[in-house]
Amino acid sequence: MDLVPMFLYCLPLLCLFYNLWKIFDKRRHQNCYILDYECYKPSDDRKLNTRFCGEVIRRNKQLGLHEYKFLLKAIVSSGIGEDTYGPKMVTEGREMSPTLDDAIIEMDDFFIDTIDKLFKKTGISPSEVDVLVVNISMLAAMPSLSSRIIYHYKMREDIKVYNLTGMGCSASPIAINIVQNIFKTQRNVQALVVTSESLSLGWYTGKDRSMILANCLFRSGGCAILLTNKVALKEKAMFKLKCLVRTHHGAKDESYGCCIQKEDDQGFVGIHLGKNLPKAATRAFIENLKEIAPKILPVRELLRFILLTLIRKMTQKSTKTGAASRPVINFKTGVDHFCLHTGGKAVIDAVAQNLNLSEHDIEPARMTLHRFGNTSASSIWYVLAYMQAKKRLKKGDKVFMISFGAGFKCNSCLWEVMRDLDQDGNVWKEFINSYPPKTITNPFLEKYGWIQEEDPDTFCIPDDYVIP
Amino acid sequence: MPQMLPNFSSSVKLKYVKLGYQYLVNHILTLLLIPIMVGISIEILRLGPEEMVNIWRSLDIDIVQILCSSFLIIFICTVYFMSKPRSVYLVDYACYKPPITWRVPFSSFMEHSRLILKDNLKSVDFQMRILERSGLGEETCLPPAIHYIPPTPTMEAAREEAQIVIFSAIDSLMQKTGIKAKDIDILIVNCSLFSPTPSLSAMVVNKYKLRSNIKSYNLSGMGCSAGLISMDLAKDLLQAHPNSYALVVSTEIITPNYYKGSERAMLLPNCLFRMGGAAILLSNKNRDKRRAKYRLVHVVRTHKGSDDKAYKCVYEQEDSQGKVGINLSKDLMVIAAEALKSNITTIGPLVLPASEQLLFLFTLIGRKIFNPKWKPYIPDFKQAFEHFCIHAGGRAVIDELQKNLQLSSEHVEASRMTLHRFGNTSSSSLWYEMSYIEAKGRMKKGDRVWQIAFGSGFKCNSAVWKCNRTIKTPTDGPWQDCIDRYPVHIPEIVKL
Repeated sequence: MDLVPMFLYCLPLLCLFYNLWKIFDKRRHQNCYILDYECYKPSDDRKLNTRFCGEVIRRNKQLGLHEYKFLLKAIVSSGIGEDTYGPKMVTEGREMSPTLDDAIIEMDDFFIDTIDKLFKKTGISPSEVDVLVVNISMLAAMPSLSSRIIYHYKMREDIKVYNLTGMGCSASPIAINIVQNIFKTQRNVQALVVTSESLSLGWYTGKDRSMILANCLFRSGGCAILLTNKVALKEKAMFKLKCLVRTHHGAKDESYGCCIQKEDDQGFVGIHLGKNLPKAATRAFIENLKEIAPKILPVRELLRFILLTLIRKMTQKSTKTGAASRPVINFKTGVDHFCLHTGGKAVIDAVAQNLNLSEHDIEPARMTLHRFGNTSASSIWYVLAYMQAKKRLKKGDKVFMISFGAGFKCNSCLWEVMRDLDQDGNVWKEFINSYPPKTITNPFLEKYGWIQEEDPDTFCIPDDYVIP
Repeated sequence: MPQMLPNFSSSVKLKYVKLGYQYLVNHILTLLLIPIMVGISIEILRLGPEEMVNIWRSLDIDIVQILCSSFLIIFICTVYFMSKPRSVYLVDYACYKPPITWRVPFSSFMEHSRLILKDNLKSVDFQMRILERSGLGEETCLPPAIHYIPPTPTMEAAREEAQIVIFSAIDSLMQKTGIKAKDIDILIVNCSLFSPTPSLSAMVVNKYKLRSNIKSYNLSGMGCSAGLISMDLAKDLLQAHPNSYALVVSTEIITPNYYKGSERAMLLPNCLFRMGGAAILLSNKNRDKRRAKYRLVHVVRTHKGSDDKAYKCVYEQEDSQGKVGINLSKDLMVIAAEALKSNITTIGPLVLPASEQLLFLFTLIGRKIFNPKWKPYIPDFKQAFEHFCIHAGGRAVIDELQKNLQLSSEHVEASRMTLHRFGNTSSSSLWYEMSYIEAKGRMKKGDRVWQIAFGSGFKCNSAVWKCNRTIKTPTDGPWQDCIDRYPVHIPEIVKL
């Protein structure tokens, strides 16, 4: 009868250990790893330099000299360089009447090029993909672009597919968020996230200044990322997701209305960028930082900040001078690299000032803005690729990605580098050695600075201004 | 009708044999357990009480050991319950009911059509023939911008339609459930062909002042099956976030997508698509277990995009004059049947009772080993579900599914009546159908509902719900004023 009590004890204990192991094992399988990613480089015949942009503005019969000056000034001081890429219909001269076919071809060019390269690099076949998330903000076609990808690559029938639209420039972390949540519930899943922007159908053909600005600043680009939560592929992974925070300020009317797609007085549809965009962005940014800082910074830094704030509050109360400067939290204690959304020079400068970053920290973002322009949701991946090409990413480094978007949203996430990364054939490969260039001021500014002072009534094009 | 033994299955005797077989296989565990329990109780009675006490004493267990074991058992139970996947409950849902002034009776529709397409009488004829056979009624509605001659689909009008449909549905839902805006943790909006910047989900966040850490997603382009895709996404999100509410809004905005040209194959959607929208509240909180209407059991998704014909059968393109419209191909029904078959193959093993699965297995083995000429056994899904909600895509879709799944006309009544009263409202039609079944008082506790929807791409998605509590006939809802007139008989062809 000795066996019976033994049995009575062993069985529950085994049961308990089994359940605990199940919970622990589940946690192990919930990590989100990036296997690889590939950014899109359009063909060279789609390059838009400043002069060509000026020409495109001149072609638009609705715009007069004032608008020409304003827009040229905006382009010249935007930090965008001479080698950025635009949609084919602009380089072919058809931007006033884009068709649905143009938009579909623009997307097809991107998919086929980028996703092919990604599958080849990682050795994964399309039928192994279990989840597909596509985000293209300004195009909602039927069947969806995600169906196009499934059709082209003959993916499996039971694939989980999601097609996000309308989420603006901050949509990359949202797509990653969906994948992160699916990883928490299923094991051994491979996910493909495709993010880009369709500029063809969103091209504004009217003359409202706040809407043409979008035409001038957005450029073509995209990125495909392969993620997985398979523990077996941990060795091959590049990055691991540590945390992701989303902030949505749509509840405030000014934030909601500062970047909105609508019709102008004449009925042309375009994206209106309001004057209070920087303010709304700053507000969302600060709230997002407040939420993510405790999750990514070491306790030491948090304690230091709290202590300083308390001290300042107490000294302020007693002396009432109010001249002491506010304590600034130092993000560099928890983050080694910063991937900022390249929304424009002003955006990068504002973020750098708020986070107290040095030129070295924001160099990847500035160079991406210069070489590829504002590619909307995929810009942070180009910035990441720059850092990788410059061999800055070492094992254990933390990379902080932050992006802003219409709505008004501010999304950020923190990645940990899993192994020393070298260049490995990425989009910057051919020209990384020429970066950073000696100067990034626009050459147009020196040569055609005369445009700034001309009087509309007496203006005539000088002889040396040759139309390309 | 495929049959195993073609000559006998119509006989009454075999019917009883079949019933007996089903009962036996489905309750086999209970039936095995009974003799075991009987055997044990006889043994115990034979031993007598003193013998029992002696055996107990010989085990030599003292109070400490008993306490330890009981704590251990309690601990194990807690750990086990913590590691179980969370159930997703549907607390309530609300469907948008358009005002009667926006209705489009056949006469209106044909008059507008004649005035707009005055140069293309053949197209007008085509539209008339479609309407006659469509199964739609006289009370379906279109948004105000489409009532103009010619229609004025501006972005402003599209936004207004979106606001009216979505906000009415959400207001109604909030009133029914008593939920406050700040309680919503997850928001998913799906609208196939209208996607402004900022998204419709941002519009909802702005109107209701939802929290700034809300997780919002805006799905589009996924066709009429997008409602179930949103359910799938909500289910995954609710597994990862404990104690949350998810608000799902399914709609289709008609204003920007009205085809203005005259190409025939692309005029078809104009005749069938109508205004509609639904807002659904999902929860994984324990306190909603009692008041929730349904529990989500399964969501199964099938995507046939890798097949060429399936991919091209619902295609948005420009016609020869550059006007954008949706082209529906002629073999839509065949492709739908194929996609349904794939979906059934996955969902069958999850929902069918053991008896049906065994029969299917035997026929499969039989076909492989004995005689490949045996007809494949189509499982009887009426054993697995009490109610069917088939997306009201059009009369042909409902007919096809009724034939394939061998359903009676009462099973598809909800779908047919929804098509008649509201038209094809795309992703929200499933919710109008659920509402019909509830309004008729047919939904009892424990009933299982199967929602099937098809979409462009080509997708076939299905969801299985289990009714949590018997639902009293609702006093509000889209069917409230007309449920007494239903069901109506819908003739094959309505003469116009």
